[in-house]
Amino acid sequence: MKIEFTDTQKALQTEVREYMRDIVTDDLREEMKNPEYFEGGGPVFREKFARMGRDGWIALSWPSALGGREATPMEQYIFTEEVMASGFPYPFLTTDAVGPVLAEHGSASIRDEVVKTILQGETVVAIGYSEPGAGTDLASLTTRAKRDGDDWVINGQKMWTSLANFADYIWLAARTDPDESKKHKGLTMFLIPADTPGFSHTPVWTLGVRTNATYYENLRIPDRYRVGEVNRGWKLITGQLNRERLSLVNHGPVEALYRRTAQWAAETALSDGSMLISRPWVQHNLARVKVGLDALRMMCLKQAWAMTEGALGMAEASAAKVYGTEFFVELYRLLLEIMGQSGVICADSPGAVLQGDIEHRYRVGSILTFGGGCNEIQRDIISAAGLWMPRAER
Amino acid sequence: MDFSYTEEQQDVIKLAQQILGDQTEPAALKLIEEQRHRFDEKLWQDLAASGLLGVALSEANGGMAFGFETLCLLIEEVGRTVAPVPVIPVLVSALFLEQLGGEAFASTLADVATGKTLLSSAISEPGAEVRETPTTRAVADEEGWRLWGTKTCVPIAEHCAGVLVAAQTQGGVALFLVDPTTDTVTLQRQHVTCSESQYLMELEGTAATLLSDVAADVTAWLDALTVAYATMAVGVCDRMMRMSASYTSERQQFGVPVATFQAVGHRVADCFIDVECLRLVTQQAASLIDQGLPATDAALSAKIWTGDATHRVSQASQHVHGGIGVDRDYPLFRYCLWARQLELSAGSSAEMTACLGKRIESQFSS
Repeated sequence: MKIEFTDTQKALQTEVREYMRDIVTDDLREEMKNPEYFEGGGPVFREKFARMGRDGWIALSWPSALGGREATPMEQYIFTEEVMASGFPYPFLTTDAVGPVLAEHGSASIRDEVVKTILQGETVVAIGYSEPGAGTDLASLTTRAKRDGDDWVINGQKMWTSLANFADYIWLAARTDPDESKKHKGLTMFLIPADTPGFSHTPVWTLGVRTNATYYENLRIPDRYRVGEVNRGWKLITGQLNRERLSLVNHGPVEALYRRTAQWAAETALSDGSMLISRPWVQHNLARVKVGLDALRMMCLKQAWAMTEGALGMAEASAAKVYGTEFFVELYRLLLEIMGQSGVICADSPGAVLQGDIEHRYRVGSILTFGGGCNEIQRDIISAAGLWMPRAER
Repeated sequence: MDFSYTEEQQDVIKLAQQILGDQTEPAALKLIEEQRHRFDEKLWQDLAASGLLGVALSEANGGMAFGFETLCLLIEEVGRTVAPVPVIPVLVSALFLEQLGGEAFASTLADVATGKTLLSSAISEPGAEVRETPTTRAVADEEGWRLWGTKTCVPIAEHCAGVLVAAQTQGGVALFLVDPTTDTVTLQRQHVTCSESQYLMELEGTAATLLSDVAADVTAWLDALTVAYATMAVGVCDRMMRMSASYTSERQQFGVPVATFQAVGHRVADCFIDVECLRLVTQQAASLIDQGLPATDAALSAKIWTGDATHRVSQASQHVHGGIGVDRDYPLFRYCLWARQLELSAGSSAEMTACLGKRIESQFSS
């Protein structure tokens, strides 16, 4: 057992860290203060993302046949950790979940038109899975795609279509076989250009970020925008899930919040002249965060290693998702307690601590416990796949 | 980055499982527990014969020199079987006697490897925090060092040839070896939760051999013992969790296995997460110690996870078992008692959290 990065891995870590300093510049930070652009989409974001594409970073873990660098999952993890810690709203679902699926299953025109531009950092894809009536039971979705000659005609509504307000495409799951007995076997995947007539979106303002409801009204697209076989869409949705879950619970960004808060507490004087960090209750919270971070870091590294070895277990992936997402919320709470009353002051207001970053994080924290495969389902997977416990019929 | 076990480590695990598994059936444990001491002499000799007692000792002292990380694999298996063998006090103490004592102790260490001699370490004092300076005092005169003070919950002290003891000298904290059989040592048996034989040990001018007066050595000794307890907790918790999973998969109520109720399945899934976290932070600390790198933060983290996970996994396991879980005819109870013991050994979660917090303060204060 050797739980340290190799020299090559450390070098990559340093390289990405330094590179990202030139990406996350003051003008990008300024642009992201606009809630519309918090998750990217503004002109500065577009420019920086394209630069990352030109510099070969988006293709890091892609096959060399597509111009990629064939990085291992461990290297990809190191990259992800540094990019997330930098605060750049990098669209991982586009580059690492949808992109590779399009490259493998997309038509020739999708590969030419879309995959290439994803790698160049010119394309962002939003995910159209959830619906008002289909969340955890995703396969019950009702957005309908009907064949009409060489085209498909799509009607329905999607919820929580994040990034749809600026995305170039929607990665859409639709029902192509209405037979109820074929629930999982009646779904097909489509890539919808966002400028197609019949597509529209309205904002949904959540506790912390903007997301969208998206509408598909007699939206007509040619068959070349279908991805994979008709009625075989489910496995394209589920194929990347374990990998995606790991990117949800990355260690780098929360480690940075811990360090910034500890530093702030060490530099903040109380009225008696002593420093805030000298208080036992402050030390208690910092220690609790540190202990939780240690476990998170090891979980993430072990999974990246297991993926590199081709041996990622389902139960372990779900355990990391549950632990990580629930720990995030606890971590925000413990760090905000240290700030006390100042922990509720939002970004840009006088008295905001650490630019209000954690105040905001706390408000978005709960999303991950139910998003990305809700934690109850993950616990079902842990007890069944990890401990062979029988499950109730659903 | 490599999370896999080496071939020799896999062999150690297999060998340990084979020897321990054969002799820790509930009936065998029950017989041992009817003795005055919860110590299986035959099993200890079998471990010696297999070479496992020397797993981390140098070849010169009859060992295999596989290092601390590999010793932890043996300790984890002892936890998994709750085998009545004092691997932590004897083998971790031996490692430090070898590192700090040098050749003077070659014959003692060779006797440890062959199972003829036992050692222990005394880390707790009544009314003193584990990680603070001990109140036991050491004074040097022409004849050497003498120790005054009281240690509590010293494992197997009555049977040991030597006990490692930290004491305060004029120059700071130092680590000593005392012979617990001499007249100046009073031992009183303590009955403790896990049923291991432990002792209140009073030192009244006890002659002692100085092993090291370097504070970092005393810290390393504490770190290693802490991580050893955490490692045993990994084995104990893993087994409790698996017993809970299989029992609830068999046990039927309302005509279905109780595991099919999400409230039950999720409680065991939470144990899985706890065990995974505990295992990983403990492995991290063991790996650092093995490489001789600074390990105190990692050891504290492992002990805090130990305190939390042993409590939660034990309570969840008893709960999902129902009455059978607390019945002494069913094997779970031994794990629960050991879980409780490990939770408070070498420092509780609360104490270790305070200790880690102080270290964080000094790390960030310039």
